[in-house]
Amino acid sequence: MSDYSWKEMMAVLFSREIKDTDKVTSGAHTEIFFAATMLAQKTHAPNMKLQLGGSVTLCNVTDVEVTELPKTSTGYELLRYAESVHDHPDTYLFYGAPGGKRYYKEGSDFRDVNHFWFADKFFVGGIQADKWGNANMIGLGKPGQMTFRGPGTIGINDIAIGVRDTYVFLTAHDKRRLVEQVDFISHPGKKVCRENEYYGDGPKWIVTPKCIFDFDPETLEARLAMLFPGVSVDDIRANTGFAVKTAKKVETIEPPTQAELQVLRNEVDRTGLLRH
Amino acid sequence: MSRKRKEVVTSIEEAASKIKDGMTVAIGGFGADNHPMTLIREIIRDGRKNLTVIASATAGLEIDLLIGAGCVKKLVAPYVGQEMYCPIGHNYRKYAESGQIEIWECSEYILYAGLFAAASGQEFFAWRGGVGTSIPQLNADLVEFTDPIGKTKKIIAVPPLRADWAIIHVGWSDAYGNGQHLGARFGDRWLARAADRIMLQTERIVPNSIIRKNPFMTTIAYADCVAEAPYGGHPYAAHGFYKEDAEFIQDYVRSSEANRKGDEKTWNAYLERHVYGPKDHYAYLETVGIRKLLGLYTHPIVSW
Repeated sequence: MSDYSWKEMMAVLFSREIKDTDKVTSGAHTEIFFAATMLAQKTHAPNMKLQLGGSVTLCNVTDVEVTELPKTSTGYELLRYAESVHDHPDTYLFYGAPGGKRYYKEGSDFRDVNHFWFADKFFVGGIQADKWGNANMIGLGKPGQMTFRGPGTIGINDIAIGVRDTYVFLTAHDKRRLVEQVDFISHPGKKVCRENEYYGDGPKWIVTPKCIFDFDPETLEARLAMLFPGVSVDDIRANTGFAVKTAKKVETIEPPTQAELQVLRNEVDRTGLLRH
Repeated sequence: MSRKRKEVVTSIEEAASKIKDGMTVAIGGFGADNHPMTLIREIIRDGRKNLTVIASATAGLEIDLLIGAGCVKKLVAPYVGQEMYCPIGHNYRKYAESGQIEIWECSEYILYAGLFAAASGQEFFAWRGGVGTSIPQLNADLVEFTDPIGKTKKIIAVPPLRADWAIIHVGWSDAYGNGQHLGARFGDRWLARAADRIMLQTERIVPNSIIRKNPFMTTIAYADCVAEAPYGGHPYAAHGFYKEDAEFIQDYVRSSEANRKGDEKTWNAYLERHVYGPKDHYAYLETVGIRKLLGLYTHPIVSW
């Protein structure tokens, strides 16, 4: 029995992934990533530019007390952490360099941040994800005959076109969720992004409570790259709905350190929203 | 000719009666915030049917309530739910899965593109997000075409989304329909611009001099009517006044979940308790209770 939850593991994992020069955006019902980004600002990324939630709320909590991890992406708590709030359609005027990917790749002497059109990182939910990294928030079944109506795409597909790396996350790891081919695409995988000449690179990872898949740079297919502590490759194979290919070396993620957990629990998630 | 300016203040009942069966209504707010709940409950009490609803870019359970009360025929919304309270609206699921409502599949910006097209009188607005997803396949009104300038990329033409009425909740408004949000505005200005007429629900009606103190803050000008409803966003938050009522929302989620699972009795009891039963807005607030309401108070966000 570990002394942290998979949600806390995920928050710490993503916090480590965030760099000080990043711009990160996170939308509705992504409390794990609210925590990850706030944790990053409070540990190693005080300059990270953070857009949280539905009113284009630009937050910096480095020197601000977070009394409670917000339960919604629109509430007044978020406004307290904000330095700038815009009309929601401004989301799609973005706030990076219009040069997008080209600008990012060529680099620049005078601005070492804001290189990417929309953001460097964006977290994408799904009720299904497939081996191409396509994620589905629309529903299950066929057009006109959905057996399960999903929440909808929200703005995921709109944002994904301009984000360097998206991270698809699932809140459970099983064959119903990890499938050969999603029923509907709300967030396109790497292949579709490339075919359509999107600025964004599509998903960098698919993350579940058990493991991380990254993508083969040649085939653009998902491959098992990292395991959560205590999980085996066989466990992943047994619970995944597509044939699991593995990266050359499958590593195990380092569990949250005491220092990371301390900041997470005492300075970000004081009410313990992620503990269970 | 009189030189007196025309005031547009109406009662909640009179405002709601302007909404007729079959109309298209755009409803403001976002997530768990700033929804015109008093007008929504009144529209349900009026027994409206066959409405086409254009929801906010992240619609909450205000839309789920309208669906569950049988008012909606067609829904334009990229999401219906309440995040951690309720990831997917239960009535939305029930009615969408059984085909009782038609969903105009879209995403946030496809919605805004349609509102921009309507507001600016254009034939369509172009947007790339959505190409390569299932959205164009599920929505025949969206037309893919090839970029006529660069010649390679596919683009989606989004036709105008026009509404007969936009129903928007504001912090305060004067009697001439000049409304100011006292917190986040979300997509309310765009929903309003895409509508023929604008109906404001306001926490307070204030003197015109208050509006003139800071006209930069006016978000909706010259609305066609304005109705006062203190705590009119309950159970959701109204920025600058109060936060959302978590317990009340949880009760809604339980009742609507029961309805999805076939327990209509529980759902009808909910509607009776909170929508049909109270004879007006103040009677509704009495059912919530003064302790609860005052406990939701938050400090003003906007300082003057």
